[in-house]
Parts: sequence; C-alpha cells; structure tokens
Amino acid sequence: MQAIILFGILVLTYLMIMAKRSTALIRGFRYQSFFLFLATFLAALGDKQPDLYIISGLLFVIKVSLIPYLLCRIIKKINVNEDLGLFINVQLSLLCALGLTFLAWVFSARLVAPGSLIQVNILAVALFVVLAGLFLMVSRMTALAQITGLLVMENGLFLLASTVSGGMPFFVEIAIFFDVFVSVVIMGFFVYRINKFFTHIDVNKLSRLKG
Amino acid sequence: MNSINFNLLFDPLSLFFLFVILIVSLPSAVYSCGYLKGEYSSAKIALAWLLLAAFILAMVLVVSVSNVFVFLVAWEIMSLVSYFLVIFDSKHERSVQAGMIYIVMTHIGTAFLLAAFLIMYKYAHSFDFFAIKNACQIMPHQTKNIVFFFLLIGFGTKAGIVPLHIWLPYAHPQAPSHISSIMSGVMIKTAIYGIIRFVIFILGVNSSWWGVVVVVVALISCLVGVIYALMEHDIKRLLAYHSVENIGIILLGVGLAMLFTSLGLPYLAVFSLIAGLYHLINHAIFKGLLFLCAGSVYKATGTRDMEKLGGLIKKMPQTAFCFLLGAMAISALPPLNGFVSEWLTLQAFFLGAFKVSGGLKLFLGISAGLLALTGGLAAACFVKAFGIIFLAEPRSHHATDAKEVSISMKAGMFFLSGLAVIFGLAAVPIMKLLAKVAGAAEGIDTGLMSFSLNNFVLSPQAAKGVYLSPPGIALTLVIFGLMSFAAYRAFNRERPVTYKTWGCGYYKLGPRNEYTATAFSKPFRIAFSFFLLPYRKTQKIRESFYHVKSFSYETHTTPVFRKFVYYPLLALVLKSAKFMRRMQPGSIHLYLAYIFLTVLMLIMFMGKF
Amino acid sequence: MSRILVIAFQVVLFILISPLLSGLITKIKNNLRMRKGQSVFQPYYNLAKLFSKGEVVSETASWIFKATPFVVFASMLAAALLIPMFIFAAPGRSMGDFLSLVFIFSLGRFFLALAALDAGSSFGGMGSSREMFISSLAEPALCLVIFSVSLQFGSTDISAFSAPHAISAACVFSAVALLFVVIAETSRVPVDNQETHLELTMIHEAMVLEYSGRSLALIELSSYIKQMIWFFILAQIIFPISLPVFTGLGEATAWIFWYLSRIAIVVFIVALIEISVAKMRLFRVADFLGFAFVLGVIAVVCANLGV
Repeated sequence: MQAIILFGILVLTYLMIMAKRSTALIRGFRYQSFFLFLATFLAALGDKQPDLYIISGLLFVIKVSLIPYLLCRIIKKINVNEDLGLFINVQLSLLCALGLTFLAWVFSARLVAPGSLIQVNILAVALFVVLAGLFLMVSRMTALAQITGLLVMENGLFLLASTVSGGMPFFVEIAIFFDVFVSVVIMGFFVYRINKFFTHIDVNKLSRLKG
Repeated sequence: MNSINFNLLFDPLSLFFLFVILIVSLPSAVYSCGYLKGEYSSAKIALAWLLLAAFILAMVLVVSVSNVFVFLVAWEIMSLVSYFLVIFDSKHERSVQAGMIYIVMTHIGTAFLLAAFLIMYKYAHSFDFFAIKNACQIMPHQTKNIVFFFLLIGFGTKAGIVPLHIWLPYAHPQAPSHISSIMSGVMIKTAIYGIIRFVIFILGVNSSWWGVVVVVVALISCLVGVIYALMEHDIKRLLAYHSVENIGIILLGVGLAMLFTSLGLPYLAVFSLIAGLYHLINHAIFKGLLFLCAGSVYKATGTRDMEKLGGLIKKMPQTAFCFLLGAMAISALPPLNGFVSEWLTLQAFFLGAFKVSGGLKLFLGISAGLLALTGGLAAACFVKAFGIIFLAEPRSHHATDAKEVSISMKAGMFFLSGLAVIFGLAAVPIMKLLAKVAGAAEGIDTGLMSFSLNNFVLSPQAAKGVYLSPPGIALTLVIFGLMSFAAYRAFNRERPVTYKTWGCGYYKLGPRNEYTATAFSKPFRIAFSFFLLPYRKTQKIRESFYHVKSFSYETHTTPVFRKFVYYPLLALVLKSAKFMRRMQPGSIHLYLAYIFLTVLMLIMFMGKF
Repeated sequence: MSRILVIAFQVVLFILISPLLSGLITKIKNNLRMRKGQSVFQPYYNLAKLFSKGEVVSETASWIFKATPFVVFASMLAAALLIPMFIFAAPGRSMGDFLSLVFIFSLGRFFLALAALDAGSSFGGMGSSREMFISSLAEPALCLVIFSVSLQFGSTDISAFSAPHAISAACVFSAVALLFVVIAETSRVPVDNQETHLELTMIHEAMVLEYSGRSLALIELSSYIKQMIWFFILAQIIFPISLPVFTGLGEATAWIFWYLSRIAIVVFIVALIEISVAKMRLFRVADFLGFAFVLGVIAVVCANLGV
C-alpha cells in the first residue's frame, strides 16, 4: 500500500514538471496532496491517534480542496495566459528531474543506516519532491509557478517529517498548515497586484527593477 | 554563555581611568550649561544632557567591567552615543558627514576587537578577564601575535593612531565643544585603557617586537599629527590633530613598557608605563581645557577660523589666560604638567638605553630625538595658535564683536587650568600613586621601587644623580621674575609711553598687515613639503596688461592619507561592488537558482562536510 | 644658608660675565677683519644706556608683551643655576638636569615668540615664525647629543660630565653637533646675524624689534646669559676640567688659566665661524640642523661602540 502511494507521488511530481499549463500544474498538485492525505490517513488508521486524524483531515481540506480552488480562482480573475512560461523545455526538465531523483536516492542511501528498504524509499521520494519544488521555482517564469513550487516543497517536507521522524509535534503541524494557507492567500493577492500593475505575471520581467 | 556576568573590577588601573573620566567630564558638564544656552531649543538641550550622561556612563562601564562581553557592549554604546553627540549640530551638513566617517571607522575597529575577543574566548571558554588571562598563558605564539595585531588595530582606530586617525579631524571639530573635550580628553583614552588592559595585563607581553611596533607606530602618529596640526587654521581641527600627536606620546610610554617587560626589566617597564599614564592624565586635562577654550572662542565670535580672529586677549582675558596655560602645558613648558610627563617619557628612553643592547640603543636614541622634534613642533604650533587668535589686532568683525563668556564656562576652564598647574607641581605624590597603578597593570610589585627623593624631587632610581623638581623650578622662576621686576622698577622711574607699532615708515598699518597663520606655518610647510605635498592656485584678474585688478592666492596641502590610502581603498571596494553587481541582475529565478545549486552541492558533497 | 650664597654668587657671576663674552666675540671678529672695532666692554655700555632710556610700548600690546622680559630673564637665570661653575657643583642640581635645561630655554623662547606676535607687525610675526622653525629643528639634534653624552657618562645630569674624562670619538662628534646647535640657539652667523636689522635676514632681532629701554636691556642680558650657558656646556664636553684641588699657588694659577682659556677657545672658534661663513638661507638651516642630527646619530653609535 505504501509503495503504491509513494509511486503515485513520484509520478505526479513528474507530471507537474511536465506540465505546460497552469491548470495542469494545479491539478497535479491537487492529486499529489490527495496521495499525501491517503498516506497520512493510513498512518492514522494504523496508529489510532486523534492527532493524525485531525492532521489528515486538515490536509484534505486545505491542500486538496481550498488551495487549488484559490489558485484556480486567481487564474480566472486575472485572466492571464495559461502558459506557464518554461525556461527549460519539457524534455530537458524531465531529464533534470531524473537526475534529481537519482541524486535523492544516492543521498538517502548514504544517510540511512542498513535497515529496511522502505525507509530509504520514503526518504528519497520526500527529498525528491523538495528538490522538484525548488526546480519548479527556478525553471518556470510566472509567479503562479513560484507559488506552486513552494507548496510542493512544503509537501515534500511534510512527507519527510511525517515518515522519517514520526511526524512533528502537533501544534507545529497546525501552525504550518495555517502558515501555508495564509501565505497562499497573500501570494495570490500579490499576483493580482503584480498583474494589475505590470499587466503580466512574468517574474522574469521584474529584473528591470534591479538597482 | 554562563560567564556573561556583570562583575565590576576596581583595581588601580580602572580607578585611575575612572578618575581621568571624572576630572574631565565634570568641568565639561559645568561648561555645557553656559555653552548650550541660547544655541538650541530647550528640548534639544535636554537631549544633550541625556546623551552626555549616557556617554559618561558608558565610558565608566568600559573601564570598570571585568567581562569581555559586557566590555564590548559598553564600548558599542559609547561609540553610538558619541556618534549622536557628534551629529548633534545636525543642521550643518558637515556634522552629518563627520558622523558618518566616525561611525564607519569606529565600527571597523570594533570588528577587529570582536575578532580578537572571539579568538581569546576560544581558548578560555569564558568571558571573564581573569579566566582569559590564565588562558593566554597557554595560547600558542602565532595566535598571540594575531590577537595582538587585531587588538592594536581595534583600539588604535578609537585612539586615533596613524593611519587610522582620519575620523579625528572630522569628528572632533564638529561636535559641540564640551563633547569635543570629553571625546578628545577621555574617550580616546579608553582605547589606551583597552591596550594596557588587554595587551599588557591579559595577553602578557613576551615578544619584544610588539613594543617596537607600538613605539614605531606611536612615533609616526606623533610626527604626522603635529605636522598636520601646524598646517591647520581651524582651531578645533588643530587641537584634534594634536590629540593624534599626544596619543602617540602616550603610546610611546606604553610601547616602551611593553618592550621593557619583554626584555625582563621590571623597573624600567613600570617607569615607562608611569610616564605614559602621567602623560595620559595630563593630556586629558590640558586637551580638555584647550577644547573648552576653543569652544568659548567659537561661542563668543561665531567662527573657528583663526585667520579671522585676533586681539581677543583684550576682549576675553580669562579665556586667553586659560588658553595660555593650556598652550604652555601642551608645549611642555616648566613647571606645568606637560613638562613633567614629557620629561618622564624622555627619561624612559634615556634610562632604557643603558640596559638594552646595540641596535635597540640606537633605536631608542633616534626615537627620543623624534619625540623632541614633536615637542618643538608642538610648541611652534601653539605659539601660532595663541598668537594669532588672541594677540595683536582683530582681523575681522568676528573678533571685534567678541565678548567674554559666561561664568559656568569660565568655571570649567579655570578648574582645568588649576589642575594643570597642580599636576605639574605635585609631580612626586602623583608619581607615587601612578607607580601603584602601573604596578597593578604590569603585575609587578612596586613596593621596593623608589621614584623620588622626597616629596618635591623626582629621582629615577635607575639613574642616580638625575633629579627633577617642578616646585623647585617654579619657585626659582617666580623668585627671579620678581627680582628682575624689582630691579626693573628700581632702575628707572619713567613710565612707558604707548604709541603705534613700528611700521617701517608706513602710516596706514592695519590688521591686514599683521602676520597670518598661514604665513606663520609656511617655513614648516616648505621644510616638510616632501610629506605635505603643498600646491597652490593663483588667479590674476587684469584690467589691462599693466594693471592687475586683483590676485587671489590659495595654498593647499595634499591630504596624504585620504588621497593615497583611503580613496584607493574606497575605489577598490566600489569597483568590486560593481563587479559583484553582475551577480545580482534582479532576476528572481537566478536567486532561486543560487539556492537550488547550493542545496544540490550540499547534497552531493555531504560526505566532505 | 651657604646654598643661598652660592646661588647668589653664581647668578651675579653670570649676569656680570656674560656680556663680556659677547664683546669678546665681536672684538675677535673685528680684529680678524683688520679693524679696531668696539671695545670689549661695549655690551656693558649698551646695557647701561638701555637701562637709563625710556620705553615705548605698542598700543596693540597686551600684558604678555610687558611680562615677557621678566619671564625670559627668570628662565635664563633658572637655567644658569643648573650649570656647575668653577668652584661649586651646580646649585640647582636637585632641580633639573640637561633635559630640563632645554625645556626651560623653550619656556623663554615661547614667551618671546608670543610677545613678538603681540605687537601686531609683520616683523614680529616673521621673527617668531622663523625662530620656532629653527628651534624645533634643533631639538632632535640636541636630544641626540644629550643622549650620546648620557650614554658615555651614565646620566643626563650636567654634573655627570663635569669630571675629567677621556676625549673619545663620541665626545668629539657630540661636541661638533652641539656646536651646530649652539650656533642655531644663540643666533650666530650661519643661522642668524645679530648685527643686521633687515627684515629678510633677522630672526632673533626681529622678535625683539618692538622692545626698547629697560625691557630690551633685560632681553639682551638674557640672550647673553643663554650664550654663556651654552658655551660653558660646550667647553665642558670637549675640554673637560675638574673641580679644583688646590695644592699650591702654581697649581691654582694653572687651573684658573686653563679654565679661562678653554672658554676663550670656544669663543674663538665661534667667532672664526662667524666671519668665515655667510648667513644661510632660512630653508638651508633645515639641512644644517639635519647634518647636526646625523652627527648626533654618529655620536650615539660611537658611544654605543665605546669608542
């Protein structure tokens, strides 16, 4: 079961990297969060602790429903070109993603003591998701991609924390959720403002502002 | 972290510096009552008092804590509060510029101090002075050299040794005069406290090249300070450059103490340190006095430019008298205090020459010669300063409208003049006290050392037969002066006739015919032209070929340190900043890519870290 | 009580004999120029004349101008106490040493320079500017001479080299350097001409230009006393003589003769230099005194080596 979930997360991350349109990216993020929710839910079922139930519930509400909805609303509101603006084209991005995966696996293999295989896999996938989020931020032009990249990074960190270290303290998780939600709201607002002022959300063109 | 405590240390060295702080701050504070009145609004005057109190408190903390962390905090507070005091007169743009230069230089110094303290902490694992002192015994030699170097630069920036002195001629003139007197009289001495405490007491001197380096640096500061002072005709900039020179003289004593400690000559080390400390307190007194007098002149006339003054001795007699005493003290004229401390410093050189070998003897001799040169040049400079400001006729309306200053300002000045005389006459008891201070700083027991014959005659024990008695000299001078005055009166009963100055036949001599400060210092400008690099600009306006309507003449000295040391450094910094600007083109993706690459690097090479 | 007598005797002796030395120099110069010239006692006649004349004080002058003659005179007499004369040890021995002598001289010079500026004319300004220039350049050479002397004789006390000593190379070099400094300090020809009153050539004379009458007499007397002090010190370094032990009339006469003649030799050397060299440009004096500094360094090196 866990292997399926991991595989799902991996594939969805690849799909996100391959995405050329904003809606595809957000969709990929939504499904990735869903798989994350499944993983947490299963862990909650296994542990039978109320904390994990609450966290998985929050995960579903915020990351699967609310945030993608917010992002889609922004897209509709600013009525912008759906094109994500790729610095690195799809094929090259996929190759880079493969490289990142390999790197993540080697790193986790070095980190983890000779133990169960599942630990290495989980660590590797989590790390890869983080790196993929960073990669998204670097290689896509629009502000929306930056936001999504940040959210993907947060996903990866959550996966890392919940599996490797047995989850973070409860209140920390709640706080993180709240932070992520609020930051998306704020970033959405800023994207709106950027668009209103510059009539585009191409972050690359902001470099004209340099000192 | 458990060793940041607020212990205060009251050993003789701290008590001495507390005394120095008090005797200069008190008259300056009294002086500021009269000085600030009428110049600023009462809210600003209240702010001035608050800052003054904070400043004095910070300095008191600096010299009395025994914990390196609290020391650094107090040091920073002192620098910050003095920055606010420097830019107090914020409607002049030059004050703000001066404050900027001051704060940058002082922070560079603090950075070096921080580095030195961190290295010491690494060995001692504690911030307490005594723990560090014990740890420094086992510090390796190279580390000790580096720590010494950093401490010298760090404290040297605040003290104003060359080439780290450039903030002094900017900051001291722009601050209000009572603050200039405290800054010049006391604040730069806290840097000397730092050097004595950290290098001699805590670090422990046992390489002789440290002392030699300090002496060389001190000599350079002396000469550069006094030569630039000779060229100035802004009163307070002149005094600021003299502070650089006198810090050099103080450091000569301290450097000699370091040299003799490392050579294992305890008596001479204590003696040199006494000379340095005596000059320290003397300088605090007479430099504080001189700055207060300069402030009085500024307040009464509205200008600091010597070339516009003159004849003030008739309009401001008490200020003139105090300035004369200060000028006599700084030129080391007997029987005032400057004379005693300069004599002691010279004697330290002379006595030391008997106990050292070969090349060091010659070095001590040449250094003594250069010290005598700076003494002579300082006297010349103050003849110029006093003569042009106070004597002869007023050169402009600034000076003709001058009036004597208020009583609080006079009280401050008279107090310090009295101290100058007392510290000269009471040399022997003061030396006995300073012996205890120096002994505590060096860690040597001075109980058996004797520095005097009786309460009126100084006699360094190492050279039998050399005596100095300032009260004796004073008495002799007074008696002979009175005798000659009596003879003068007895010989001829005529009263002197008052008439115009001899004008060589001209009938319309006026203030324009008097000597100017620039003219007074011209021989020095030419003699030291290899260093000062003077240049002149002239401009003739002609009505016809035969008739020149007007001729303007400007003479400038090249500011050598600014031009050859600081501007190139600044240009280098700006050039490298421009180069690095290319790394920051404003693209967010590039910045994110930097982060990404760093993360990848960390992951790939994790094993290496 | 006897101390006070000694002090009084020494002071009176200095006051009485110093003009004679100046007159002697002038007489020797004139004789070498194949002239008859003034009598040896002319300075005394000048001083008497000045004491009887009235005084004119400039209206721009302040109390400094009026007080300076007394300060200068008192400082010269105080310095004179530091010199051991022929029979006695220096009465002011516990008051100061060679270094304090230099500082006491600078006290007199400081006030004289101030008084020169006080009159408000350009002469005074020029005089004081040049005087401070020359004296500050003479200080390092002087300090090095004192240094080498103290290295040879063990302390900076003037009485230290009052004992007879072997004339070593260090002595000779210090004496030559000191001669240069003495020429600068007493305003003798290569540095300053005492007979001129042209403003381009005056230094000491320019400073005292405004003085007249009794004040001028006091200042002239002070400069004679300063000259005598320097000559005594110079003579002691290069021609040492000890305090006398009289065992017979012949010895006593020989002693007195040698005592007087060594001063005369110094006077003669100074006079010879005065007539054979022309007065230097002001800025060459810097080189002159720099050379004295170099000689002082050589003296220190010789003293170091024990030569």
